[in-house]
Amino acid sequence: MGVVVKKVELNWLDRTYVWPVMKGMGITIRHFFRQIFTPSAKRFTIQYPDMKKEMPAGYRGLHELKRFEDGAIKCVACFMCQEACPARCISIEAEEFSDLTFTQGFEEKRPAKFTIDMLRCIYCGMCEEACPKDAIWLRKDYEVAAYDRLSMQFGKWDLMNTYTEADGKERISQDPTPSVPRRTIAM
Amino acid sequence: MDKLASLLHTTPATAWMVAKLVIVFGGVFSLAAVWTWVERRGAAMIQDRIGPNRAALFGKIKIIGLAQPLADGIKFFFKEDLVPHDANKGLFWLAPFLALVPALMGFAVIPFGRSFVSGGQEYHLALLDPGNGMGLLYPLAIGGMAVYGVLVAAWSSNNKWAILGGMRSSATMVSYEIGMSLAVVAIFMTAGGYDPSEVIKAQGHLPWAWNIVRQPLGFIVFFACMFAETNRLPFDFAEGESEIVAGFNTEYGSMKFSLLALSEYCHMMTASALMATLYFGGWQVPFVQDPSVMLSVASFLVKMLFFAWVYVWIRWTLPRFRYDQLMHLGWKAMLPMSMVNLVFHAWRMSQGH
Repeated sequence: MGVVVKKVELNWLDRTYVWPVMKGMGITIRHFFRQIFTPSAKRFTIQYPDMKKEMPAGYRGLHELKRFEDGAIKCVACFMCQEACPARCISIEAEEFSDLTFTQGFEEKRPAKFTIDMLRCIYCGMCEEACPKDAIWLRKDYEVAAYDRLSMQFGKWDLMNTYTEADGKERISQDPTPSVPRRTIAM
Repeated sequence: MDKLASLLHTTPATAWMVAKLVIVFGGVFSLAAVWTWVERRGAAMIQDRIGPNRAALFGKIKIIGLAQPLADGIKFFFKEDLVPHDANKGLFWLAPFLALVPALMGFAVIPFGRSFVSGGQEYHLALLDPGNGMGLLYPLAIGGMAVYGVLVAAWSSNNKWAILGGMRSSATMVSYEIGMSLAVVAIFMTAGGYDPSEVIKAQGHLPWAWNIVRQPLGFIVFFACMFAETNRLPFDFAEGESEIVAGFNTEYGSMKFSLLALSEYCHMMTASALMATLYFGGWQVPFVQDPSVMLSVASFLVKMLFFAWVYVWIRWTLPRFRYDQLMHLGWKAMLPMSMVNLVFHAWRMSQGH
């Protein structure tokens, strides 16, 4: 393999070293003053704990379990996400919750327990893809850390409340009694 | 001053000497410590980064990271002090002081402000009064002593990388000293004396009469040689992460390492002061015939700190030289240049200028 060696002919001014050195110093001092007079919000460096990066749309961060307006969980415990999960971090226990039948427009199944092991989760977003109800979203939070392993097991209520502050919603810790049919069925 | 002396039961001369000692050594030492921070912060700014800005006093007062040297000092102080098994223990302990003491001592003759008369007595703002017979030969001689610090540190730690760094840096220092001394000799000739006060007086208060304008070639040689003398980039051959692990301080840790690092910065301060004295009129204020004492001190400080900043600036601008290029530059460029400078000024003086 041939390598083209570019020969540079230096003129007498460059051969003195002094002028090129001064040119280089000019470049560095320009960078110095530009950086000094840039307000820290506009610098490249994001000083992490004080400043945080706004994640772009489509970023896959911490999960949220979506809810209806009355606070009922959207998840119908179909186990699609659990099946799709390559890291096997989701575990669901389903329960029946309504005596009213499907034909009357009520969901009759919901997760009693919905656990995501955040230590195992790889944030691939397959659960989001698999969900037929759009009940699980991966959103913009990326600071998922804790002091012990047990608190990294996110349960149903943890997951439902992950973005309550960002969205200005209420925190909930129990399922509301379903009163309104979720959908109308053409009978 | 008299009142203070009578309070301390000493003569005014002694009190003045002690005050000067504290101001000069404490000042240079703390400036050197601050300059470690300036170096890191300046480097960061030049490279479009931010640098150490988080060190805070009591976890609250941040002052743009100025507490960093303090935190570094405390950290170094409490680290384990290791001496390698086969090291020469005595010399290993001695080396940091051998490096630090000459770096600080060089400052002793440099006047950092104009002399003034108070209460019928003349006070000189330099540790050694003018007319001591050594003048500016003294910092040059002490600068030569600095080789021992590096070399003894390298040799005593019984490490081949260290001794490689120490050997080549001592070779650099010795060979650049010749060019530097010849450049300074030209100044002695034109000033008509060794004494820094004479050198400063000969330069006067007008910037175009300073030695930088009169002897630009000598200045370039002296400036470049000072980089080699202080072991700073682009001539930092005592160290070299890519080639010889760390260099002459490979085996050093904790307080001994920080003394070695500080000595480099103290040396830098002394070299900057020398440059300001020899080529930029020392404490002279441009266009001011008789500056007040405070003004002259401020002028000297500005000049000195500017050169200390140039050290940092150059370091983050230029790549390092290769060792043979360095020797080539030292012997085949710097030495002839300073000789030409010397002969030219001798000729000019013989023509009656």
